[in-house]
Amino acid sequence: MTDPSVPTGIVITGLSHDYTPRAGTRVRALEDVSLTVATGSFHALLGPSGCGKSTLLYCIGGFLPVQTGSIRTDRGLVTDPGPDRGVVFQNFALFPWKTVLQNILYGIGKRGIRGAEARDRAQHFIDLVHLTGFEASFPGQLSGGMQQRAALARTLAAEPDILLMDEPFGALDAQTRRIMQEELLGIWRQTRQTVVFVTHDVAEAVYLSDAISVMSARPGRIRRTLSAGFNRAADPAVFKRPDFTEQVELIWQMVRAEVDDARRPAPA
Amino acid sequence: MIGRIALRCSAFLVLLAGWEAANRLGLIRPFLLPPLTAVAARLVADVASGAFFLNAAVTLYRTLAGFALACVIGIPLGILISRRKLVGWFVEPIVSVGFPMPAIAFLPIFMLWFGVFDLSKIVMTGFSAVFTVIAAADAGTRGVERQLTWSAQSLGATRAELFRDVMLPAAMPQILTGLQVALPLALIVEVASEMLMGGTGLGGMMVNAENYADSVGVYAGIVEIALVGGIAVALMARLRRHLLRWHPEAAG
Ligand SMILES: Nc1ncnc2c1ncn2[C@@H]1O[C@H](COP(=O)(O)OP(=O)(O)O)[C@@H](O)[C@H]1O
Ligand SMILES: [Mg+2]
Repeated sequence: MTDPSVPTGIVITGLSHDYTPRAGTRVRALEDVSLTVATGSFHALLGPSGCGKSTLLYCIGGFLPVQTGSIRTDRGLVTDPGPDRGVVFQNFALFPWKTVLQNILYGIGKRGIRGAEARDRAQHFIDLVHLTGFEASFPGQLSGGMQQRAALARTLAAEPDILLMDEPFGALDAQTRRIMQEELLGIWRQTRQTVVFVTHDVAEAVYLSDAISVMSARPGRIRRTLSAGFNRAADPAVFKRPDFTEQVELIWQMVRAEVDDARRPAPA
Repeated sequence: MIGRIALRCSAFLVLLAGWEAANRLGLIRPFLLPPLTAVAARLVADVASGAFFLNAAVTLYRTLAGFALACVIGIPLGILISRRKLVGWFVEPIVSVGFPMPAIAFLPIFMLWFGVFDLSKIVMTGFSAVFTVIAAADAGTRGVERQLTWSAQSLGATRAELFRDVMLPAAMPQILTGLQVALPLALIVEVASEMLMGGTGLGGMMVNAENYADSVGVYAGIVEIALVGGIAVALMARLRRHLLRWHPEAAG
């Protein structure tokens, strides 16, 4: 249980997902999604709001049942949630009744590590996300940015093979978001985990990712997967580089086309 | 803090002053409302003889035993209602019928089953409190964000561990609200059972005084019950503040 995480790829084949609300009609959220996330790569999912990004991520997490198709990692078929796949949610989802330290100790404890060793590990990740000094604070006493750091530390401390992030910086103000993006890249360069990162912010996707998959409006399909690669050079000024802005513009046009498609009235 | 307590007490002081004045002015027959001073003297005598502590201990023991029973049964059941279909199917209708029922009506049945001593009163008290506890735990669990349980699962929690690790603490604010309602309820039903069955305890002592036409004893009993109830409720509020240190309500 305590072996260090081994990055693993993800292969999704023919995945469709329907929601059947108790009242109302069935909604097809994902349609025939096939996607390969390379081992150790940072892969962004980009698409208009409501296109099924979260649904896809929740399926990989094992939180939603796989209805049609399959999801496979190096550990086998995904059927349930498991500590090999860590998640960071947009709303942080920290345990509000636990302190920062207790939150981070939770996953460490579940791996059977206790006492001083657990404490040292937790402290390592607290320091990594710059929350030193806030160990005893409850999440409700922290700012949004600090809560998201704590959530990130909690997930990283469990040392998952795969990191699933659902618009983790979406609830943060622009400055905090920028800082968090830089820090996430810094951490990822050390851990080299496989990351699936959901966002609707094109610049964020281009800045962080090795590969970007653009999804269509609902029902979500993978429209195209492009490679980016600005993340390999630790260059904070990359946002201003012409090749960067060009790439952002190109992908933005693709996303916009999806939004426009969705707005156009269906042919009679 | 001290100012607030003084403000609260001042309401009682006005009430007590009115009581004493009514007697002094001869507005009311002493048997119907004995002078405050006589009741106070009885209270002091009860405390001095230890009778107050004995009766209060008996009443509190049965109240808390019944209350604990209601918690041990009610909290897990309430959490399971919304999480396990079978439990919900069975328990929910029973709770919705049992909740508004006057629990004390079951006293003859419990006396028949559990005798006339402590056990029947404890079961009676627990029965009266358990529906409130179940309903509170159920309501608290329903509101739990699914991302919280997902987080725990992806950190390695098993489905069984979710109850202790996520459901229980997440539902705690509402559970405690339920307990704060259930505790005075349990005390009320305990005192009522004692009054109906006689014997020891604050309620038993009161009904005893009544049988001897000792109206001072009846009033002293009321004050003693109010005192015990007030302390129990205050301690419960304290427990809430301690357990919910993390909650935004604690900041205010
Ligand atoms: N629990 C649910 N019940 C019914 N429909 C849902 C549910 N969750 C999401 N949907 C629908 O599925 C679609 C995809 O949702 P989601 O995956 O959250 O999109 P995104 O994360 O890209 O904004 C949306 O149209 C949404 O309305
Ligand atoms: Mg979403």
